[in-house]
Amino acid sequence: MIENFLSYNFVQCGLAAGSLVAASCAVLGVFLVLKRLSLIGDGMSHVCLTGVAVALLTSTSPVYMSIPVVAVASLGIMKLTQKFRIYGDAAIGIVSAAGISVGLLITALCGGFNTELLSYLFGSILTVTWTEVALCAGLLVLVVGGILFFYRDITATCFDEPFAHTRGVCTERVNTALVLITSVAVVLSFKVVGIFLISALLIIPPVSALLVSHTFKQVLWRAVIFSVASVWLGVFVSFLIDIPSGAAIILVNLLCLAGCYVWLKWRNAHGR
Amino acid sequence: MPSILKAEDVCFSYTRATVLDHISFDIQSGDYVGLIGPNGGGKTTLLKVLLGLEKGQGKISLFGTPLSEFKDWQKIGYLAQKSPVSQTRFPISAEEVVLMGLPSRHGADVSRAELKEVHAAMQQTQTREYAGRIFQDLSIGQQQRVLLARALVSKPQLLILDEPSTALDAGSRDMFFDLLGRLNKQDGVTILLITHDTGEVGKHISKFMYVDKNLVFFGTKEEFCHSPEVAKKLGPFAQHTIDHLHNHHGHCPLGAACEECKHD
Repeated sequence: MIENFLSYNFVQCGLAAGSLVAASCAVLGVFLVLKRLSLIGDGMSHVCLTGVAVALLTSTSPVYMSIPVVAVASLGIMKLTQKFRIYGDAAIGIVSAAGISVGLLITALCGGFNTELLSYLFGSILTVTWTEVALCAGLLVLVVGGILFFYRDITATCFDEPFAHTRGVCTERVNTALVLITSVAVVLSFKVVGIFLISALLIIPPVSALLVSHTFKQVLWRAVIFSVASVWLGVFVSFLIDIPSGAAIILVNLLCLAGCYVWLKWRNAHGR
Repeated sequence: MPSILKAEDVCFSYTRATVLDHISFDIQSGDYVGLIGPNGGGKTTLLKVLLGLEKGQGKISLFGTPLSEFKDWQKIGYLAQKSPVSQTRFPISAEEVVLMGLPSRHGADVSRAELKEVHAAMQQTQTREYAGRIFQDLSIGQQQRVLLARALVSKPQLLILDEPSTALDAGSRDMFFDLLGRLNKQDGVTILLITHDTGEVGKHISKFMYVDKNLVFFGTKEEFCHSPEVAKKLGPFAQHTIDHLHNHHGHCPLGAACEECKHD
């Protein structure tokens, strides 16, 4: 059955793109969760609605249209927190509300919800093209390369931003790079799990990994493994019992989180 | 003595409230300055502005270089008032935290030389035994000592410390201030320290800076302790500090050198 499942071109495409964005989101998510910025993915995903609506209105590619829209929104969140001293969660809420309302307005102007828009809201991993797979591969190279090269600056900024500044680390640049790369990851993820569930890919695997890891490098590796495994298992289960793949991927992630929590409790109870 | 930290007309305000109002001073090499003042007087904000963590107005120079052009951050060790502990369990060892104090460079690997420096700094603050433990699993006092090791690991020429002893027990506090005293006297490290613990630390401090939005006083310990005019000008808080300096452990912090106390 698995051979049959993997023989389809659209399944190969979907799994490749899903694995690549899952790995990118897991790595980025670790830093966002530790910086208490995990909901930024949620805010950005809501802004995707504006990007997708504009793309459908102008008959352009939703992915290419959403990347600049979400990037500008993510910079907006940063500016609101830095310049206007608004709390991060409030800034995310403001930008998120703006993203949804503008998106809904444009959708209404072009005749309301249609099947294509719904496929972006709930994900359609099996419609991913090989060009999009190449984009996802580029994203992963950028994320892993960037993290390895700037590992010390990024961990120092996430752990203690004022101190990192006194080491000469340009913390503002690190934060900007982190949210811009995350905005690209969010856009490339919306076909995999859908606009509504993107933030789960950024949050759940890192949180699961944090529960069962002792070192920072362990957290990064385990988050990637949990995330990629959830895509494969989720897509396979959705293929088996005909359910939406995005929802299946997130449910597998939630089961993984529950498993990590139970394991943590068991480990603590047995003093290991 | 060369100027290490110079501030000219430094001002800072949040949206409506003025926090720092035209503060100017010059800290020279080898000074051990106690920065004191009432709560809300702007002491912590002043340190943040001096380090560029908050953007204020006025001129600041570090080691003779304007703050905006300053690059030799390894010359400065900084210990903040609050430990960077959050509810999220950051899975990083005490050793890795101290490593952050070394000059930043690319890559994730740690060299043997870097590890040696980290262990030496941890030895200084008696935290070597916690090297492999998760930072967040340590007590607040142990964390504070690890953070001091992080501030010392780059062998700084200027230490800027914001109430570092608040979470420490009596033994650790003595170790802490003795270490700072040694670094100042033996290695010539310049220290700027916010403290309310003027009794113990008063033994080592050479100058006092009193900030209450304005720079109310900046001078030697002798001037501070034995000037009735200063005490009168500074009000009850300063008088309390001076009394504390005199009464702590039942003797004057200036010791035998104090001319005034010989006449008491």
